[in-house]
Amino acid sequence: MNYKQNNICIKKLSSNFFRHRIRIINTLFIFLTIFSFTSCSDFVEVDPPKNLLISETVFNDPSTVESVLASIYYKIREHGIVSGRSGLTTLLGIYSDELDYYGFDINSAELYNHNIVASNSLLQGWWSNAYNVIYTANDIIAGIENSNSLTIDDKERFKGQALFVRAYIHSLLSNVYGDIPYITTTNYLENNSVARLPASIVMDNIISDLISAVTLLENTPVSGERVLPSQSVAKALLARMYLYTENWELAETVSSELIDMHTLELDINSVFLKESSETLWQLKPGDSPRNTHEANELIIHAIPEQRFALNNNLLDAFELGDLRLNNWIGSTTSTDGTITLHFANKYKATFIETESLEYSIIFRLSEQYLIRAEARAKLSNISGAQQDLNAVRNRAGLPNTTANTSNDLLDAILQERRIELFAEHGHRWLDLKRTGKARAVLSLLKPNWQETHLLFPIPESELEINPNLLPQNSGY
Amino acid sequence: MKKNIQSIGKLCLFYTYFLILTPFFTTLMAATLSYQQQTIKGIITDLNGKPVAGVHIMTQKTKKGAISELDGSYEILANPDDTLVFSALGFKTLTVLISQRQEINIQLYEDATQLDEITLNAGYYSVKEKERTGNIATIKAKLIEKQPVSNPLAAMQGHLSGVNIVQSTGVPGGGFNIEIRGKNFINGVSDPLFIIDGVPYSSQSLGSNDVSGQIFSGNISPLNAINPNDIKSIEVLKDADATAIYGSRGANGVVLITTKKGKEGKTQFKANISSTLGQVSNFLELMNTEQYLEVRREGITNDGFGPFLDNPAFDFFWPDVKSWDNTRYTDWQKELIGGTAYRNNAQVSISGVSEGTQFIVNGAYQKETTVFPGEANYKKATVHSNINHQSKNNQFKIDLTTIYSNEKNLLPRSDFTSKAYTLEPNAPRLFDDEGNLNWENNTWNNPLASLEEVYEVKINTLITNAGMSYMVLPNLKFKTSVGFNIYDLASYRTLPSSARNPRFGFTSQNYSSVTTNNSKRHSWIIEPQLSWNKEWNKAKLNILFGATFQRENSQQLVQKGSGFPNDNLILNLSSAETLEILEDADGEYSYQAFFGRFNFNWNDKYIFNLTGRRDGSSRFGPGKQFGNFGAIGFAWLFSEENIFKGNSILSFGKLRGSFGVTGSDNIGDYRYLSTYNVSGLDYDGVSILEPTGIFNPLFGWEENQKLEAALEFGFFNDRVLLNASWYKNRSSNQLIGIPLAATTGFSELTGNFDATVENKGFELDLRTVNLQSKNFKWTTTFNITIPKNELVKFDDLENSTFANRFIIGKPLTIVKLFNSLGVDPETGLYQFEDYNNDGVISRVEDRQWVEDFAPKYYGGFGNTFSYKNVTLDFFFQFKKQKAFNNLRWRATPGFRGNSPVSLLDRWLEEGDTNSVQLASGGLSPSVGPSDLNQSDSNAAVSDASFIRLRNISLNYQLPTINNDLDINVYLQGQNLLTFTKYDGPDPEQPSSIRLPQLKQITLGLQVKF
Repeated sequence: MNYKQNNICIKKLSSNFFRHRIRIINTLFIFLTIFSFTSCSDFVEVDPPKNLLISETVFNDPSTVESVLASIYYKIREHGIVSGRSGLTTLLGIYSDELDYYGFDINSAELYNHNIVASNSLLQGWWSNAYNVIYTANDIIAGIENSNSLTIDDKERFKGQALFVRAYIHSLLSNVYGDIPYITTTNYLENNSVARLPASIVMDNIISDLISAVTLLENTPVSGERVLPSQSVAKALLARMYLYTENWELAETVSSELIDMHTLELDINSVFLKESSETLWQLKPGDSPRNTHEANELIIHAIPEQRFALNNNLLDAFELGDLRLNNWIGSTTSTDGTITLHFANKYKATFIETESLEYSIIFRLSEQYLIRAEARAKLSNISGAQQDLNAVRNRAGLPNTTANTSNDLLDAILQERRIELFAEHGHRWLDLKRTGKARAVLSLLKPNWQETHLLFPIPESELEINPNLLPQNSGY
Repeated sequence: MKKNIQSIGKLCLFYTYFLILTPFFTTLMAATLSYQQQTIKGIITDLNGKPVAGVHIMTQKTKKGAISELDGSYEILANPDDTLVFSALGFKTLTVLISQRQEINIQLYEDATQLDEITLNAGYYSVKEKERTGNIATIKAKLIEKQPVSNPLAAMQGHLSGVNIVQSTGVPGGGFNIEIRGKNFINGVSDPLFIIDGVPYSSQSLGSNDVSGQIFSGNISPLNAINPNDIKSIEVLKDADATAIYGSRGANGVVLITTKKGKEGKTQFKANISSTLGQVSNFLELMNTEQYLEVRREGITNDGFGPFLDNPAFDFFWPDVKSWDNTRYTDWQKELIGGTAYRNNAQVSISGVSEGTQFIVNGAYQKETTVFPGEANYKKATVHSNINHQSKNNQFKIDLTTIYSNEKNLLPRSDFTSKAYTLEPNAPRLFDDEGNLNWENNTWNNPLASLEEVYEVKINTLITNAGMSYMVLPNLKFKTSVGFNIYDLASYRTLPSSARNPRFGFTSQNYSSVTTNNSKRHSWIIEPQLSWNKEWNKAKLNILFGATFQRENSQQLVQKGSGFPNDNLILNLSSAETLEILEDADGEYSYQAFFGRFNFNWNDKYIFNLTGRRDGSSRFGPGKQFGNFGAIGFAWLFSEENIFKGNSILSFGKLRGSFGVTGSDNIGDYRYLSTYNVSGLDYDGVSILEPTGIFNPLFGWEENQKLEAALEFGFFNDRVLLNASWYKNRSSNQLIGIPLAATTGFSELTGNFDATVENKGFELDLRTVNLQSKNFKWTTTFNITIPKNELVKFDDLENSTFANRFIIGKPLTIVKLFNSLGVDPETGLYQFEDYNNDGVISRVEDRQWVEDFAPKYYGGFGNTFSYKNVTLDFFFQFKKQKAFNNLRWRATPGFRGNSPVSLLDRWLEEGDTNSVQLASGGLSPSVGPSDLNQSDSNAAVSDASFIRLRNISLNYQLPTINNDLDINVYLQGQNLLTFTKYDGPDPEQPSSIRLPQLKQITLGLQVKF
């Protein structure tokens, strides 16, 4: 109605502009008002900001998918369970008999003293960082599935990496928390009320993801600096998982494939350099520091600034003449000369170094030798086991092992793992746990030791949010 | 988008036409007929026959003005058929027809409260106090000027019922929390919509936690940019009737800040200088060295480490007990937060008038130091100007306001307060003999090192608004308001190697870093409006119709440079060896609305008000962007009914009520999209892209229903004014960042939740003129608010992620705590009620004790006495509430770091029934959890009610030497006295890490001529 009237108005008035100027103005205002009211229903639609990309566009281009994968590697390097800063290396080190803790962080002290409460923020951090990374991996898997513009090769390469990451993170979580949910979707409704799976089922899932990853990464060329997971990396984890699940034949088969493909670094001083030949996967540091978090955490510059020092039991466990004692361990003495502390010095370049010399190594070949040695010992292949064990020993300047029975060999391998893999990703603790020796060793060292300490508590706030995760691991 | 730009283009073009053409029309129409004018004279007196000076006389038609002389005489040129309007502060306005007279003597009636005179700004329209149908609380310049504060929110504290404002830190330039009528939403900010001279002003800080986290927790109040002395009035819109016209942004209430306008009268020059001294209002009673070392040793021994205490090899582990001087004592509170903060303030303002044009320019400069050691200071310069012009026939009006402010705040990078409370009393000296920072053989972190670590922020704020109105027809007014706002923040924080213990080997090359935050927010708004007023014999009709177009762009760039050739170059990012971009974000927010008001007044007795708004916001996904809001309000002035007419007691009576719906879109931009975030970081040269979060394309407006009923009375010729309101607001369709289990990959998801939160309450405002004689006047104001917050509905709460946070039927502000049963006389450890009787005290199951931290009631009580030239004001603020006490941060004696002396009352041996558990050095596994649980129990909650002398002000007006000179001297105090039983630093802002509020004394001088 208004519209019609106004039209008539305009016709009438346009000829008599001056005489009817008031009406003209009037009309203009009504016009303006109508204009205001009819225009711009899309006024409230805005362009996305420059720092955000809409998800669909991410999976249309291989380079943006690489960027998403890069976010995973960045995150695991900087935070959480893999990181040299707050991950297994330091925290399982102080939890077991590798490291002594001298710092003042309450949460770390709880681990060191074995008086962990379920609200420990480090453990909460491990949990949430891990599942955030797993979400990203699952989003990649789903995103490339629906993408039409990626090549088959790209799809395989990306999916292989994502599956590996998913398996790897779950494996670390299951090691320390026991029964955990295995997350394979990004559907938050499902994941928000997910229940825990028995650790054995988690392990089955990990292995099946790894088998797919190994196939998918078949044709992926290995990156020059080995800073991205390759097929070998997936195999390395697979061999470890077979070992953990006591599937000796397969552990031997898979580790053999790796040992045949790669070579041990023979110079003991080059094992942790970025060029080391035995490295299967390492995380490249960023700009600050340009070297590893591990070196900055573990090296003691002065007393009393120490945070992590090697436990004397570990120092005593080295055999005479072991090159690793001199080359992988450092020491600092206080100014008054009364105290000397030893520290893990596998990585040597700290923040003071402005050149990038060392990367954080996640998988290396000597672990595979020890995996195969253990598998062979279990399979009663005595000479094979000796051979593998000696490969690691000889490099460290030690003579061949004298163990010649299956059981002696298993003890010798455990000892060798303790020395070779000290202060690396909590191998020592996980070995004590899986071989049932944790109580015998730790009850002497940790007055608060309880049998239930084999597992960490599920973060308390998570139990509050998702009661399906109940019950809490016993003892917490 | 294209279409969009075009349409804006059209709009702009139209306004240009409008601006160019309007003056022509104005001139044409301004041609009014002029009659023969004559001079009218007279004397103005009060009821006692005393002459009244300074009365403003105005001719109603020709808008000429004059002012009465000291002897009450006046002269004015006027048409014989015109009407004269006499108005003066403290008197009722009188309108007199000239009807050909040449001498008109006038007697003015004193008006206690000027109920008729008070006009309230309701945003898009203004309304007389007497005729309002909604709830609008106001504070005027007169009251604001008496308070020596630098943030407008500080001036409002305690004065307005239903408005709860808490200062978050005593550090200058910090922020405030404001809540109007309670917390409406489970998540999201409770900030109201701020509108400064018609321009919406975001109160959200653009601070970055990477830069200012440790000094302000990132919160920098943009409202600091407004100089309180530039404010003419602040109106707070509270109920549906007043806020519904702001639609989706009105749910948390609306605060309208109106700055001073040029006013009629002669050119006036005003200067104001003042000096303020401030000190922390309250210090804690902490242990001295002897007490501290006693509990330390006792604790370490209790933990079973006693033998190690004597072994020098372990000295490094407890330097406070073994290495440091055991007789040394430093009062760290005095050392670190015990200084005096100075504030100097200078202001100059010029206002004047010339033929239809009024102007005011006001410049102010302020410098404020802190109570911290070092050179920290906060400088602020503001310029405010207003110019308004009306055409001779009053048909065209234009009003331009510009506020510009420049703030520079230089502070240490972190607040010293928590250090002041927790540093060991025998901690080493700060400087060695050479005057360098003392590191005491690397046994401690020197707190003054953080003085080398500087935080600086520079903020430029510009708010401009142009309002134009034009009477299209005698009753039809077109008005448009165009506003523009820039908020520009540049801050940095340095971490030079010189602030670190030299023994670490940190150098400028490997350690020094600077983090900068450059943020900007620009917004513009255009609001065209048409209003139509018509008066009949008994009826008045007022219709308003308008539209809003608003767009806001924000940008934030946070960069970190590290590795410098030397520390002197640390501010130069180009000398940094590596440059990281921590955040490079931008956001766009578009907002569009149509609004209207229909107001009908019958015989000044029945008033009916209808408001509505249709809103669209870019914060929601397609199909969810628009929402409708509206309210209905009425008022019945029953004192106008015949039975009350001429009643000698009741002079004014009104019953009013309103109901309506408002909303909230306060959830951040782009939250409905599934996105990946570019963070500027990289791995192996590949820049990283990470998922932003779980997205939800379906969320929509939050809704807030407001219901209000109120009674207003005026007694004894309005000398006693009483307003009582009752309100009930219900918020539903709650937009909640629903906490997610970490297994989803993220910690929360935004979505609408079928939960209802109710806020109801009772507000009472009382204003009285107790005594009024020729020389003496005593007035009192009192307000009280009794709020009640309740979670009314939350489907399936038990199975939701909020199961452990909320209880249906209880307020949102509750906390669940352990029930502390005191210390077990056997073990010496704190004991707690085991609610589920499973033998274990667990945080999930056994925190069943409920405490509510919302205030039970709060308000203010003020008195003003004036005798001749002296005026004395004092204002008390009071609040009844509970809060966490000192046990919240330390519940066990013997841990490293100082603690309150109250912890000395500890368990020593079996059978003791002391209130504090046994001392511990923090090394025993059993003490840790019980210490933690005690801090999270009802024992850590105590009464934090207070009565605070918020403001006291004494003003003396010097006897005038000549008529044009007006000199005032004033003495003002802020927070000088606090009555409370609370044992923490500050009952108003219970915190052990933020600087408590300061008590301040100001001396000032004002000259006007």
